[in-house]
Amino acid sequence: MLYLELFIQGIVQGSIYGLIALGLTLVYGLLRILHVAHAALFTLGGYIGVIVTNTTGSFSLAIVVAMVAVGLVGMAVYKLAYEPLLHRPPYIALIASIALFIASEEIFRIVFGPFGLSYIDPPLQGQIELFAGFRLKYGEILVMGIAIVMLSALAWLSAKTRTGIAWRATVTDPEMAAAFGINIQNVRYLNFFIASALAAVAGVLVALLNNLVEPTMGSVPSYKALAIIVLGGLGSIRGTLVASLALGVIEAFGTIYVGHLLDRDALAFAFLILILMVRPQGLLGAK
Amino acid sequence: MMMSTSAPTPVLQVEPVLQVEPVLQVENVTVRFGGDTAVKNVSLTINQGELVGFIGPNGAGKTTLMRVITGIVKPQEGRVLLEGKDLAKSTINERVSAGMALAQQIVQPLHALSMLDNVALACGGAKTASVINAMFHTNREQERDKARDLLERVGLGEVVDALPATLPLGYLKRLEVARAMALEPKLLLLDEPLAGLNQAEAKGLADLILTLNKGGQTVLLIEHNLREVLRICPTLYVQDNGLPLAFGDADTVMKNPEVRSAYLGGQA
Amino acid sequence: MAYEITLLTTMAISILFALSLNFISGFCGQISLGHAAFLGTGAYASAMLTKSSIPFLLTLPVAAIIAGFFGFLIGLASLRVRHDFLAITTMGVGFLFVGIVRKQDFLGGELGLAGIPSPDMSRESFMVFCIILAVIFAIFSLYIRRSWMGFVFESIADNEDVTRILGIDASRFKLAAFVIGTAVAGIAGALYAHHFRYIGPDSFGFVQSVSVLAMVIVGGVGSVWGVAFAAAVLSILPLLVQFIDDYKLLFYSGLLFAMMRFAPDGVAGIVQRLYGYVRRKS
Repeated sequence: MLYLELFIQGIVQGSIYGLIALGLTLVYGLLRILHVAHAALFTLGGYIGVIVTNTTGSFSLAIVVAMVAVGLVGMAVYKLAYEPLLHRPPYIALIASIALFIASEEIFRIVFGPFGLSYIDPPLQGQIELFAGFRLKYGEILVMGIAIVMLSALAWLSAKTRTGIAWRATVTDPEMAAAFGINIQNVRYLNFFIASALAAVAGVLVALLNNLVEPTMGSVPSYKALAIIVLGGLGSIRGTLVASLALGVIEAFGTIYVGHLLDRDALAFAFLILILMVRPQGLLGAK
Repeated sequence: MMMSTSAPTPVLQVEPVLQVEPVLQVENVTVRFGGDTAVKNVSLTINQGELVGFIGPNGAGKTTLMRVITGIVKPQEGRVLLEGKDLAKSTINERVSAGMALAQQIVQPLHALSMLDNVALACGGAKTASVINAMFHTNREQERDKARDLLERVGLGEVVDALPATLPLGYLKRLEVARAMALEPKLLLLDEPLAGLNQAEAKGLADLILTLNKGGQTVLLIEHNLREVLRICPTLYVQDNGLPLAFGDADTVMKNPEVRSAYLGGQA
Repeated sequence: MAYEITLLTTMAISILFALSLNFISGFCGQISLGHAAFLGTGAYASAMLTKSSIPFLLTLPVAAIIAGFFGFLIGLASLRVRHDFLAITTMGVGFLFVGIVRKQDFLGGELGLAGIPSPDMSRESFMVFCIILAVIFAIFSLYIRRSWMGFVFESIADNEDVTRILGIDASRFKLAAFVIGTAVAGIAGALYAHHFRYIGPDSFGFVQSVSVLAMVIVGGVGSVWGVAFAAAVLSILPLLVQFIDDYKLLFYSGLLFAMMRFAPDGVAGIVQRLYGYVRRKS
């Protein structure tokens, strides 16, 4: 029973990692930028979620507002921060992104205060007993449900719609895509919008699970999501999802069994380094 | 102490070829990518002092075979020997140290270095062979003198101090050749050195390759420019669809009906 | 006077630490996002030893060797993974270091090590000692850049594959860069521990790794003078401008972002451009 509980915990955590890391993978796939500041958008999503829920009383409205607002901010980040750096060596964009992330954490602290915000009347607090002694919180079910819905929607979008096909073509070969008349700039905007909106959803959900948003809530996801996309093979969407779930489960078990040797974050990176030494291209990366 | 800049550089030394010794042996090499066979059971021997032209239509597997020789691609079957030594376990820098040098088809100058230092670095093999040695030497003059000579030989004497990024492709192709020559290889591998050059430039570089060969340099030349290949190469190797088609004296090879049909659009 | 001494000592240690990363990332082009782990390794090694009454000066070589040994392992990792993968791997090493130290009681765990003995010399002599070490390593760096080792580093930073095609065993040179750079970071760590007399896991976390990388980049990747200058200024800025304490990190990250966005070649690049501008004018 403990195993099953740990496993489910791992899957819930893994779903959140997945929502965040997927956005990073989308950005990396298109621009080869390690977008650390992505986690700041995750935090921003959390803040917007809590504030909108508290003022309007509607949690679903909060999710939509957070997605749209953060999506737009993501587009602005691309335009103002990354676009001018695309012709520079990649570490320039990486450092710029880290700086942007740290600056955002500070801004959250200064604007919203260091102690964070909570839902006044937290939604979905009940739990359901699946079978004898095994309970799941509504929030946890929602996390898994939303992750599945979002990822399916994304899969459908990229496989079946014109926009999705243009997007995939651009990821595979930007020059060829441009030659076929695809507006690369629009694809990049769309890419940042979707990636940031996914991070916003994750932010709202984490805020719900912890009933707290705080300025530093992005720190751990920022570095860990990087580990995940590297683990998944940088740019591989399937790899990212597999790595997210695997890491969630490994952490759930690891903190119980080797928690006295390594903390949770170190565990994730130990796993990452181990895998990279065996498979330098990541779990599902092409050579 | 006599330090004369006019001392003959070793690449210029003419060594009389007395006995025929294989420099490069490719034995039954097969390369598959997934389900496709890129190179199928190729064997090839290049002897000391030879200048072999390696030709074949697009998709013939020329680049793949070159990559097998330099060690970038591992063959599923067969082996490559340099002066009788099996190279299976050698990395690319070990292969270069052992005596092969490569001028790449896609030019890759070191952009942070001047043209001169690009070549001088290649001339410094004695100093870069060990980390400790490299740490205790600062003098680059000897290597730069040698590099200057080499750049002059390939017709780049005017641009020794330029940065590669400021120069056109034709210059960088010749830089590749000069850098490969600087390694004083036993076997010089040239991957389409004439591609992208105009007719006069191509002729000039082909003449230089011929001169090097006359001086005793063993050369394997992959080239699309048939006109120049036929002009300078006494021996030809032809490959098509990964299969060896013909190998031998240039006139005989070019009369081979299979070669003609491969080039003229096979009526198979 | 005591204040100036503290300031100058901090500055000297930061310069030494930043130059040690410059050796790896600036000279040899191997990006590292976990360099603080080596500062930490040296600091913990040296502090543990002086706490068991071993003379401070003797602990310096030990700190260098232990940090250099771990650096060698990371160097081996750099032979397997490159570029973005290496950046993330080194970042992982940083987290691993902090994560492990946190859980070790004999290293003080979360609380860290307090009461580190003073380095058997006056504060003035310690300051001079730190400055001398920083100067020696700066001179060594300048020398290496002129040497054939620096020549090869430049080539590896530019294009590792081409370096190999020129018959150079790039792996060994990369390992050398990692070992030298991390060993010196270890020495800087030993100085750090005995300067502040307290160390904890958070003294060597990701923020420190980013800060030192910021010094290298703000100074101008590979430029010994630029990096030394940036390290000097950035290390004492927080001490000089304490009134902006609450906005310190925002100021820093804003500066770093602005640097990347508008002058990614750093102070050295700005100086070079100004020099070129003045020359064209005259």
